[in-house]
Amino acid sequence: MHEMKWIPEDIETYLNVKEYVDTVVVPLYGISMDKEMKQSAEAAEFITLLTTRIERQFTGRLILFPPFTYLKKDPIEKALADLFEWHNVLKADFKHIFYLTSDSDWRLKEDMLQGTLIWLPSIPLKSMNDSQKFELIDNQSQQLFSILTDKWIESE
Amino acid sequence: MGKNNVTRRQFLSYTLTGVGGFMAAGMLMPMLRFAVDPVLKADAGGEFIQTPKKASELTSEPTRVDFTYKQKDAWYESDVTSTAWIYKDDNGKIVALSPICKHLGCTVNWNTDKAHPNQFFCPCHFGRYEKNGKNIPGTPPPQPLDLYPVQVKNGYIYLGKAQPRTHV
Ligand code: FES
Repeated sequence: MHEMKWIPEDIETYLNVKEYVDTVVVPLYGISMDKEMKQSAEAAEFITLLTTRIERQFTGRLILFPPFTYLKKDPIEKALADLFEWHNVLKADFKHIFYLTSDSDWRLKEDMLQGTLIWLPSIPLKSMNDSQKFELIDNQSQQLFSILTDKWIESE
Repeated sequence: MGKNNVTRRQFLSYTLTGVGGFMAAGMLMPMLRFAVDPVLKADAGGEFIQTPKKASELTSEPTRVDFTYKQKDAWYESDVTSTAWIYKDDNGKIVALSPICKHLGCTVNWNTDKAHPNQFFCPCHFGRYEKNGKNIPGTPPPQPLDLYPVQVKNGYIYLGKAQPRTHV
C-alpha cells in the first residue's frame, strides 16, 4: 500500500484497512472564468501538488478525497452550504477532516466550518525551475505535515 | 517503485475477454509495447539510480536523501521522487533505508518522537523502528524497514530497488 487516492484500487485497499484510516483531506477549488481563469488554474495546480505530497506521506492514515469545486462568481455562502452537506457525509467515517484551499474567501467563514481549514496563498510556479519547485512544495508540505500530526497527537 | 496499474495477467485477460474481437487487434500494439518496455524492465531488474548525496558527507546520523527518476507506465512517463534515510554504521558501512512504514505505508521520520529518541517514528499509528530499521515489538509495523542496495560511483551514492527483510 503506497497510495490512497480516489481510484478503485486504492478504495479497495481503504475498505480493507478502514479502521486505521480516520482522516480525510478535501481540496477546495474555486473555479473562475475570464480574467481570473489563469489564476484559478494556478491555484488548483498548487493545491494539487500539495495534496499529492500529503497523501504520499500519510497513505496509511488518510484518504485524499476528490476536490470540492464551486464557481467563484457565486456567493461563498452557497459553497459553504454545499460543503456542509459533504461534511455531514464525511463525518460518519472520519474523525479528522481537513479542507485545503488557496481561496481566501474561506478564511472569513473559518468559524462556521467544522473540520480544519488550511489556507495557503497560492504561489505561481510557472517561472521556477524543477528543483526550485520541488524545494518550495517540499517546504510547504513539511509545514502541512506537522499540522496534521499535531492534530493526531492532540486527539490521542 | 515499479507500481503497475494493471498487472500483465489482468491486462491479458482484458484483451481476451469482454472486448469484441475487432478491438483485440487494436489492443495488441500497446500490449507489446507494455511487455517489452525497457524502462519498465530496468525498474524491475534493479537498476541503480544516482542520488545527489556524496558518500563523504554521510555521518552516523541518518539523513534524508531525495532522488528522482523517470518511471514509465502503460500511458506516460513521469518523474518520481523517492526518499531514503542514509547513514554510516559503526563499521563504516553505508546503510540506506526506505521510509515507507511496513504497517500501512506512511512515511517514517528519524528522531521526531520526543519520548523515544534515536528511532524512526511513524506518525500514523505510532509505529517505531530502531536505527537499523528493525521494527520495535509492541508497535504496529510487522517487519523491518526495506533496505536499498547501495553503490558508490565517483563519490556519489547510487541506490537500487529497496528490498524487504524478514529480520535484521
Ligand atoms: S502506517 Fe506506520 S504505524 Fe501504521
